[in-house]
This record gives sequence, C-alpha cells and structure tokens, in this order.
Amino acid sequence: MPEREVLGGKPLQILEKIKESLERLNEKMEIMIELQKHGKRELEAITPEAPLDVMTLLSMPDHLRKTAMTICRLGRATADEVAQQTHRARAVESAYLNQLVVMGYLKKERKGRKAYFYINKEGQG
Amino acid sequence: MGKIVAVHSYKGGTGKTLLSTNLAVTLAKHGKKVCLMDLDFRAPGLSTLLNIDKVEYWLNDYLNGVCEINKVLIDLSARIGSQCMFFAGLANPSIEAIRDMSSKDRKWEMRALGRLLSLRNSLLDGKNFDYVIFDTSPGLQYSSINAIVSADLVIVATTLDNSDMEGTRRMLRDLYDLFEKKTEIVLNKVMYEDALMSGRDRLQAFVKETYQVPLLGVIPCFCDISRAEGKTIFVHEKPQHPFTRILEDMANKIDKL
Repeated sequence: MPEREVLGGKPLQILEKIKESLERLNEKMEIMIELQKHGKRELEAITPEAPLDVMTLLSMPDHLRKTAMTICRLGRATADEVAQQTHRARAVESAYLNQLVVMGYLKKERKGRKAYFYINKEGQG
Repeated sequence: MGKIVAVHSYKGGTGKTLLSTNLAVTLAKHGKKVCLMDLDFRAPGLSTLLNIDKVEYWLNDYLNGVCEINKVLIDLSARIGSQCMFFAGLANPSIEAIRDMSSKDRKWEMRALGRLLSLRNSLLDGKNFDYVIFDTSPGLQYSSINAIVSADLVIVATTLDNSDMEGTRRMLRDLYDLFEKKTEIVLNKVMYEDALMSGRDRLQAFVKETYQVPLLGVIPCFCDISRAEGKTIFVHEKPQHPFTRILEDMANKIDKL
C-alpha cells in the first residue's frame, strides 16, 4: 500500500490500534446505554440465551427486526455487511446489533479487527 | 438466482395446495427446475395428491436435523414430461408425526427457520433450482410464518368470503408488512362472469383497494376442478382447460417479478 510506504509501518499500525480501541469503547458505551435504558435486571432475565424465533421477531420494534432478520438471512455477518443489506449506516447497525447481543438474541465474536454477529450457537445446535 | 415462493392463506380451503402444485408443474413445463415442498405439517396432503407411497425421508426429518435436503427430494420429472425437472419434498402424514410437529418449542422453531433459510444455499445456489415452492398451513402458525420469512415472494390465496377477506386483510397488515415481504394475491372461487368477463376491472380495483397488494390472478369456480377430486395434477391432465391458461399467465408474471 502506498500510504504504508509514506508513513512507514509503525504509525499506521498505531493509528489502526487506536481506531480499534475506539470502536471497542464505542460498543461498550452502547451496551451501557442499553443497560441504563432498560434496567439491568430486566435485561439479565432474558440473557444469555433467548431464541430468535419468528414470534420474537414479530414482537420486536421495527428497527431491530430489520437488523435481526438480516442476520437470520446472512447467518453470520459484520455490522458493515448488515448495513449493506439494510441501507442504513454502519454505526446504526453496530448499535442495533450490540443491542441484540445484550438482549441475548445474538452472539458476537471478534476476529482481528472485525466483529462478527451470529445467532446463538446453542439455538442453532 | 432462483426464487423461494410461499403459498399461504388466512383460512383453510382457499386453494393453496391446488395453486402451489399446479403453479409448480406449470413452471416446470416452462423449462424451470422446480421443487414443491409440503410445509403443511398439521394436515399434509401432497403425498396423497402426488400418489407417492414409498418415502424414505420426509421434510420433518430435514427440519429435525436427521438428514440433509437431498435425501428428502423425490424426482417426479418423468411424471410430467421428459424435458421437465420437477421435484417434491413431502410432509409426513402419520398421526405421530403431526403430533410431534405440533409440540415443538421455540428453540426448535428457530432452528427450523435456520434450516429453511439455508435451502437458499443448498437448492437455489447448490443445485440450480429456479423455484422452490412452499405449500403452507393456513393462518398464523409457526411453520407458516417460518416459510413466509424464508420466502422471496408470498402468494396469498383468498376468496370473496367475508371472514376470509377480513382475516387476510388483517394478516397482510399485521404480519406481512412487518416482515416487508413482496406479496401477491390470488383470488380463488370467483363467479365466472366476474373473473373472466365483465367484472374483471372492478375486481382488480377492489383487490387493490382492500389489500393494498397487487393481484396475481383470478381463478373462477370450475366444476371440472371439483370433479377431479384432487386426484390429478390438473394443468398436466388438461392442457387446454381455461384453468391451465390462467396458471400459465401467473407463472409468466412470477417469472418477470
């Protein structure tokens, strides 16, 4: 990559690290906001595993249903991939996906810089 | 890329099986590779209609995770013509199987949804099917909603019966809209004059006004269909019948969607 040559390896790596940390921080804050909104106890009752069946999908608010259905279709995806399907901003999808994780419907796994969301393994069994 | 089409209705007896079977065969006769699936686990009917007595694996087994989908598919191409590619997946009609399917929990239903969704990979991509057609149970049942969620297009069969119409209207608004499904209406059992002659435009406007959904086709009451007693695939037995023409129109429309 030309930028890498101009900047040299190290500074770019540092920038990437910072970006990654900021993203993680952002996600943590989103989760904390969620917890505050709904009250911790209420959320804990449905976590860690709640089946994401069609009746659950039906009872969800519209904005979350769209995200949840996209994950159902894709199986396993990043916020970016979901955003491409829903035509909403990546940051928006990231917030909704993390909300679904807090609610216990989705699981999240990090691989390098990317975070993948998928339906509860236990449920997929 | 192929399409998954679910045929559904609010009430029973509106013609879902008649429609899905004849539509599947019509598409196959048009040169498409088609698979018809009986997802009506409460009242399975396809094995009787297609007259198949030896079945090794049912769709029940696929959804239970017992086998893969290729074990379930039965090749019926030879029945409708040498050039056709027509397959079926059947629901187990035994009382034990019906009881088993009606006692599933939410977790199972979620996994079943996952398995229906993965048919897109295994059949449309993997085996180059042009159409997978789901025949479903009427009303708001788990298996039917799973089928609707997995489908690209949902065809709702309805009649001019008042309670059916009211229920269908509510179902479209409270269920289909939420899943943002592409939906088409088929009006069945309409008086012949209304369906094919003078009343046609009026019906079209009426459906649009009532359901806010496009009209795929209108099927009039045909005594010949009652007379066939659900023992034959009508479009195959009677290629010149007006019913066959109507189904051909529908198949062409679906192909263009």
